[in-house]
Amino acid sequence: MEGRPEDDSELFARAQRGDTAAYEEIVRRYQQLAFRTAYVITGSTAEAEDAAQEGFVKAFRALDRFRPGAPPRPWLLRIVANEARNRVRSTQRRLGLELRLAEGFRPGDAAPSPEAASVAAEDTARLLGLVNALGEEDRLVIATRYFLELSGEEAAAALGIPEGTVKSRLSRALTRLRARYEEAASA
Amino acid sequence: MPDLEQQLSVLGNALEWPPTPDIHIPALRGGRLSLAAPWWGAPVSILPRWALAAAAAILVAATGLLAFPPSREAIANWVNVHTIFQQVPHLATPKPQPPGPLGERLGLGGRTTLASAERQIAWHIALPATLGRPDEVYLQPPTDAPAQGEVTLVYATRPGIPVAAQTGVSVLVTEARGTVDQNFFGKMMGPNTTLEAVTVAGHKGYWIAGPLNEFFFTDANGDGRSDTVRLAANTLILDFAGTIVRIEGNLTKAQAVEIATSLG
Repeated sequence: MEGRPEDDSELFARAQRGDTAAYEEIVRRYQQLAFRTAYVITGSTAEAEDAAQEGFVKAFRALDRFRPGAPPRPWLLRIVANEARNRVRSTQRRLGLELRLAEGFRPGDAAPSPEAASVAAEDTARLLGLVNALGEEDRLVIATRYFLELSGEEAAAALGIPEGTVKSRLSRALTRLRARYEEAASA
Repeated sequence: MPDLEQQLSVLGNALEWPPTPDIHIPALRGGRLSLAAPWWGAPVSILPRWALAAAAAILVAATGLLAFPPSREAIANWVNVHTIFQQVPHLATPKPQPPGPLGERLGLGGRTTLASAERQIAWHIALPATLGRPDEVYLQPPTDAPAQGEVTLVYATRPGIPVAAQTGVSVLVTEARGTVDQNFFGKMMGPNTTLEAVTVAGHKGYWIAGPLNEFFFTDANGDGRSDTVRLAANTLILDFAGTIVRIEGNLTKAQAVEIATSLG
C-alpha cells in the first residue's frame, strides 16, 4: 500500500467502517472541487467555504447511505451543492458570480504569434464577460461543464436536476451565448 | 470563430479561482462526529427474520402514533424519521412588507383579470368555490416563472380566516403546471413545522403546518424550480391533475381541505 495512492472506493469503504483518517483523505482529495462547486453556486468565498465544510460533515453522517462501488464524486457534489443552495436561499440573496481571468493569462500553444496571442486573450476576456452577464441558470450550467469540468452525471448532481435537463439547459445556454458572442464580435 | 465549446474549455483553464481553504473537521478526530447508523442498527441483509418482523411492527406502530400531533416530534426523534420531520437550525424571519401594490410587495407578477389570465395560459385555472371570486389575480409569464406560467389568486378577507398581519391577505392560491416531491421542500421546513401526506378528493398532496421557507417543484418542462412561500403560515400543496395548487393562509387543516375540495 505504501507509496500508492489508495483509490476512492477503498477510501470510502474504510470511511464507512468508521475510519476517520480515510475520511480526512477524502476531504483532502475533494475539498477543491467541493469548494469551487459551492463558490459557483453561492458567488461568495465565505459561503462556499461554509457550504463545503458543512457538506463534508453531512456526507460523513450520511456515509451509511453511500452505495459501495458507486461513483463518489456525484454523491459528494450533490450534498455539497445542496448545502450551497440552502445557504443562498436562507440568506435570501443571490450573488452574481464574477469569475476573473488569472493574472498573466496567455492563450499558450494555440496562438502562433504574439499578436495572435493578444487577440486570443481579448477574445477569452470578452467571452468571460459574456458568461458573467448570462442569467443564473445559463451561467451555472456552463460553469459546471466547462469551468469545473464535471461530467453530465456530476453536473446533474451539482445542479439538482436530471441529466437530461442538464443537456437541454446547456444547449439553450450555448445558443444564447453564441448569439451574444457573435453580436459582440460584429459590433 | 473557433468552436465556442473549445473556447469555453480554454477559458475554464484561465480562470482565477479563490484559494481553496484547507477544510478541517475537528469533530472527526475528537470522535464527536459519528457515522449515522441506520435506525435498525445493522444492515437489513444480516438481520434475522424475527428482527425484521419486530422492526416492521415498530414502524407500523410509530406510523400510527405519528397521526397524533403532540407525539409527532418525540416519535420522529426516537425513530429518526427525519425525511418527514426535517429541521433546519435557522429559519429566516419574514420581514414586514413595504407599502405598495400587493403584487409588487409579494412578487406575484403582473396584475390581471381572471379572464385575461385564462386567455394567456394554456391550462385551466382551478377556482376554489368556497372562497368565491378572487379579489386580485396575478400572472407570472413563463419567461419569469415555471414553464406555462404561474397564476396567483388573492383573497383579501374571508369569514373565519384570519388576515396575515404583514400582507393584509387571508388566502393565497398559487397554481402552476408541474409535479411536486416532498423530498425537495421537506428539507426547508422550520423546527416547528410538520409535513403530512394527504389525499383530497382523489388528489395527492401535502399539508404543511407551520412556516415553509421555500417550495420546490418540477415544472412542465421537467426543470427544477423554487418559489418562496409568501404568507409564512400553513400551506396545503395539491397535485390537481398536473397543476400544482398551493393554498396558503392562517388556515386550519380542515379549512384548507374544504377549500381544496371545492376546486373546480
